Amino acid sequence: MKNRIVPACLLLAAAIALAPADSIAGQEAALPAAGAPGLRYEIWVELDAAGKMLHGKEEIVWTNPTQDVVPDMLLHLYWNAFKNEASAYMREAAAESQGVRGPAPDDGEWGWVDLTDVRLADGSDLKPTLEYVTPDGPGTAGDQTVARVLFPVPVRPGESVRLRIEFRSKIPRTVARSGYYRDSFFIGQWYPKPGVYEEGRGWNCHAYHLNSEFFADFADYVVHITVPRGFTVGSSGKAAETRTDESAGTTTITYRQAMVHDFAWMADPRYLKIERDFIAAKEVTPRESQETADLLGLSLDEVRLPDVKMTLLIAPEHKGQIERHFQALRAAIKYYGLWYGPYPYETVTMVDPPFRTGSGGMEYPTLFTAGTNVLTSKDQLSPEMVIVHEFGHGYWYGLVASNEFEAAWLDEGFNTYSTTRVLAKAYGPGALPLNFKGFPVDWFLRLPKVFDFETNRVAAINTVRFDPVTAWSWGFFNRMSYAANVYMRAATLLSTLENFLGEPAWSRIMRTYHMRYRFRHPAKADFIAVVNEVSGRDMTWFFDELLDGTEAFDYGVGGLSSVKVPGHLRGVFDTNGAREEWTGKRIEEAEAAEGDAPTPPDLFRTTVLVRRYGEARLGGDARVEVLVRFKDGTTETRTWDGRARWTRFEFVKPVEAESAKIDPRSVWLIDENLANNSRETARVRRNVVKLASQLVFAVQLVLHFFGSWS
Amino acid sequence: MGVFKAIINGMGTTVRKPRLLVILYVVNLVFAVFVALPLLVLVQSELGASIWGSSVRPVDLMWLGEAVLKYQESLPALLAAAVAGGVLYLVLHIFLNGGIVGRLLDREGPARLAAFAGDCGRYFWRFVRLFLMSLLFYVLTLGVFMQLVSALFRPLDENAATEWLPLILSNVHFLIALLLLSIVHMIIDYTRIAVVADEEKKVLRALRHALTFLRKRFFRAWAIYLVIVALTLAGSVIFHAVLGRLGAAGLAPVVVGLVWMQFYIIFRIWIRTLFVAAQAEFYRAHPY
Repeated sequence: MKNRIVPACLLLAAAIALAPADSIAGQEAALPAAGAPGLRYEIWVELDAAGKMLHGKEEIVWTNPTQDVVPDMLLHLYWNAFKNEASAYMREAAAESQGVRGPAPDDGEWGWVDLTDVRLADGSDLKPTLEYVTPDGPGTAGDQTVARVLFPVPVRPGESVRLRIEFRSKIPRTVARSGYYRDSFFIGQWYPKPGVYEEGRGWNCHAYHLNSEFFADFADYVVHITVPRGFTVGSSGKAAETRTDESAGTTTITYRQAMVHDFAWMADPRYLKIERDFIAAKEVTPRESQETADLLGLSLDEVRLPDVKMTLLIAPEHKGQIERHFQALRAAIKYYGLWYGPYPYETVTMVDPPFRTGSGGMEYPTLFTAGTNVLTSKDQLSPEMVIVHEFGHGYWYGLVASNEFEAAWLDEGFNTYSTTRVLAKAYGPGALPLNFKGFPVDWFLRLPKVFDFETNRVAAINTVRFDPVTAWSWGFFNRMSYAANVYMRAATLLSTLENFLGEPAWSRIMRTYHMRYRFRHPAKADFIAVVNEVSGRDMTWFFDELLDGTEAFDYGVGGLSSVKVPGHLRGVFDTNGAREEWTGKRIEEAEAAEGDAPTPPDLFRTTVLVRRYGEARLGGDARVEVLVRFKDGTTETRTWDGRARWTRFEFVKPVEAESAKIDPRSVWLIDENLANNSRETARVRRNVVKLASQLVFAVQLVLHFFGSWS
Repeated sequence: MGVFKAIINGMGTTVRKPRLLVILYVVNLVFAVFVALPLLVLVQSELGASIWGSSVRPVDLMWLGEAVLKYQESLPALLAAAVAGGVLYLVLHIFLNGGIVGRLLDREGPARLAAFAGDCGRYFWRFVRLFLMSLLFYVLTLGVFMQLVSALFRPLDENAATEWLPLILSNVHFLIALLLLSIVHMIIDYTRIAVVADEEKKVLRALRHALTFLRKRFFRAWAIYLVIVALTLAGSVIFHAVLGRLGAAGLAPVVVGLVWMQFYIIFRIWIRTLFVAAQAEFYRAHPY
């Protein structure tokens, strides 16, 4: 058929992209030479800045990669989430806000996308077949973010279909991730886009939900963006050509990018555009390369990083923070590259989100939005955190493209964990990010500095009872549970797993997983398989118990005592056929009779009670380690499998115990009560005294404040 | 009387009456220990036997997270108890205000406990009525006037081209609120002084005395108030600077820190009495 093509290179390209790597060796930074095997876009879009509209047309070439015969195509029309209050997004937002007005736009500021024409390349009109569908069930009835078109002839395995779509979109006034404010525009999730076809399961094409991000197939993009002349434009991909139409007063820039699964851009007439180079030879020392290679068991060539062109689009009022942005981006490119694999694209564009476009802190392939304020503190690590995090999504979402609708933890959790590591490595702990009236609080008060893993853990232990980490994005109890579980609890679990398996094994696991599933869509089982394979241990229990489960993990020391072992026991004893009673008085007399005769040293019986307070249990070869320290400085270590509710350890030694501690190597970061992990017999409590005095002081101040209103 | 003379005279009065400071400090400390006791027990029970107790930081997120998790069911009750404690302290302070103002206006006489207690009882109900009246002023100031200011600023904010304008507007709004509150606070202070100095039984009449007094010399009176506020801020900056420089290791810095914090509380209480003493000096210098 005319509208179907079977590229000669399809099988080869598919083999390159889909074949799992046997090991982490031999991976290159470069993109697959053949580009995306099954999907290509060419899009022409014009921004009507005055009317807040987009006028576009696109050509989509989709190749059926499965053995299924496919009769239709499901398309995401994400901006219809902002069309009315019947969309799944708005309904979920209303439910979340419980009567308080949610993110719904004001009158006249709704956003939407209309498909004005849908045809195959042979001219067949598909528009009459177009219907809105609700693949996520009746709860999303009325939603128009997924549309379905029927092909006149089903697409057979390996065949391709070429669609030509014309669309016009009303840009929303800032709802989520996309929108306009005055003449600033951030344009994401803006074009009609097919779902991901999964063999035997059909189209994976979910509605736009409040608590969800996105999922799409890798594709090659050519995008022609037309904006009013004078606008600064930033976009995914690499600018290939710029044309100016003097009569129309417009500029058209063509961007190209292979092997990405989304494409976003921004336009603003005031923005500054600055370019810098990440020069790997300057950023990574030979020693760092060697240490990484040794840790991962790779050659120096395999850990060598490529140079990257970095572009920053920044608001003029943030001009003073330009170098700060680049410094954070350099750290991110360096450490993600060293740890997980080289960044494979030539460019990365960092966008300081246009004011009030609601677009901050969001990732797109080769482009991300950061976020800062005019008043910042160098100690608060903002904007650094968001820059590292959103660039990191280029790895966890951009390259390892898990389904964010169904397994958000696989990108958000992995990336939060990775962000924590990069920030700790590059910056150390940061001050708590507190602001008052736009002023960083640490300008005036000394705030404690914390590592992100600490804040992650606080959220993790407080959210476990709501949902499993692995729930689908819109199935979480509420938005807080979604965020705390998929970001922070998942990150805390990964940190725990790292502690448990040790840095060498863990580093290889992460590298292997990343490189093996680059340009693919792995699921939880794929990661578990890599963990088990590389570590050589069956860690399936960990995921079953702690990611799929909703039970608390808490082991603790239930008791510690050291008592002198008496020389004689009291009671009635049968000795040499005679029965005699040892009374307290008789024991005293016997001890007095021993007088100055040399006696063996006193013995002490130390008893340590270890308890499992939580419902979650250790599994596999994991053990609770118990370290008992004695007053002469000696130590004893025992282990327990932790399956039962409690166990008891006894030691008889000529010295009293000083303390008992479980998990002395601080492996189980996910343990929700670290205070009960240890007990001491002595009571030196300098810090408790300090804490108590500060508490009283705080109450005194509050009372004084109350009193001053009398 | 000039601004600084009123303040210096006020300082002299407070220095001559150290017992006032002692009474107020003891009340504050005892009440605080009472309110904090449940939390202190909690800290001791959680960390008293743990090795973590030797390394926990004053604001230790890891431990606070655990405490929130463990005691989240009790948090509303704790919060309610704290608010109840605050309200109780407020009532107690209304009671104590009689003694504070009464003894400070008696410039030369010593602040004997019996006289202090007598003043507390004598003026209590008048000050209760004044407090209720002050609530009306605060509601009018924050709830009505500041809403009008917000409405005035809103169109500017909504059309701001950059974040600078909202930031400035927000801070100007906050500053206006603070200045208005300081004026209301000052009016209430002078009314309290008028009740005692003029032996006025009717609070509304005392308020009229205060307003008449302030109408004639508003800016000087406000300057006294603001200079003492500036003194408070300066003292707070010094307090935090010194506290931040105390070492973390060893028992000595803990003890020094504890003592330093109590000095700061005494300083704040002294400032509170200075407000009354300086304003009383100023009021007395210009009889109604």
